[in-house]
Amino acid sequence: MSKYLILIFQDEAAAQPSGDSVSANYRAFMEKHAGALRGGVALENPATATSIRRDESGESIVTDGPFAESKEALGGTFLIEAADLDEALAIAREVPAGIGVEVRPVRVVS
Amino acid sequence: MPEAARADVALALEQAHLEWGFVLAATVRVAGDIDSAEEAVQDAYASALATWPARGIPANPAAWLTVTARRRALDVHRREATARRALPKLVDPEPEPIDEQVEAMEGIPDERLRLIFTCCHPALAPEAQVALTLRLVCGLSTPEIARAFLVQEATMAARITRAKRKIQVANIPYRVPEGDELPARLEQVLAVVQLVFTTGHSAPSGADLTRVDLAERGVELARMLRALLPSDPDVAGLLALVLLTDAPASSPVVTRCARS
Repeated sequence: MSKYLILIFQDEAAAQPSGDSVSANYRAFMEKHAGALRGGVALENPATATSIRRDESGESIVTDGPFAESKEALGGTFLIEAADLDEALAIAREVPAGIGVEVRPVRVVS
Repeated sequence: MPEAARADVALALEQAHLEWGFVLAATVRVAGDIDSAEEAVQDAYASALATWPARGIPANPAAWLTVTARRRALDVHRREATARRALPKLVDPEPEPIDEQVEAMEGIPDERLRLIFTCCHPALAPEAQVALTLRLVCGLSTPEIARAFLVQEATMAARITRAKRKIQVANIPYRVPEGDELPARLEQVLAVVQLVFTTGHSAPSGADLTRVDLAERGVELARMLRALLPSDPDVAGLLALVLLTDAPASSPVVTRCARS
């Protein structure tokens, strides 16, 4: 089995879902794939992000906003466990994400 | 087996090179990953060159090469497994008894479809799919592929290394897609074969012989797919298309088509 992180992207300009309960389509996805899900988070709007960058001298600089400004904003993640990439892609395809998802293998470190 | 002349051995090895994909595909599952499988297959061809002149050319060179490569891969793997005390899941833990005198392909599974579908996986960049197919299924060397696509050898080497690393790290499976998945995945495979063929066929006339060779590889791949998936109409269609395009203008098939 391999672990994969599904990065969920949404249009930054799109309205943020209000309230603090999981929407019905996400709830359905999570119920269907409960066996493979190992975790996940929903993120607040990128406008609320704070970045810490290290400059050449090693100094930390704190700035407002996400690391990379783009129209496609990271909206949340799921951590899943699957037999292989094909199985992971089949699950990721069903995430009801606005723009789409990125599937990244999780590196095994000891 | 009787001794064989150097020239006969060279000819037999050239013939056997057409079976590169078969030998490699059958070795991947024993080796556990593509890199060590490739090494084992290269070793097998080298050991054929060393031993056939004295011991004679085996009745079935491809079977001999496959068994030799699989044994080599298994040896390497066992040594590593002993060191690590863990067997990756790709590996068949039951080592099969290997006979010195291999006469037939019986018992050696034809895994070429798995290899082709892995090379043409949509999670790999299209140019990497083409490069991997030529390297792993057709047995072309990296410099040959680089020349065929008019890119620097280092660029092509990096492209192939990166693709092989992704197969391993992202755990792209060594399998033939089934059911609903198959049509789209097969389409991708056919696109790769067609690209190989057209790249070879559209080469400026006479200027670059290695590109003409690519057309041959395209035909070879289309024939291989036809043999592996005999009932698929799209595969049959692709083979017909490349054969027709590849036929010299004077051939009966072209004359017949021109007339109708």
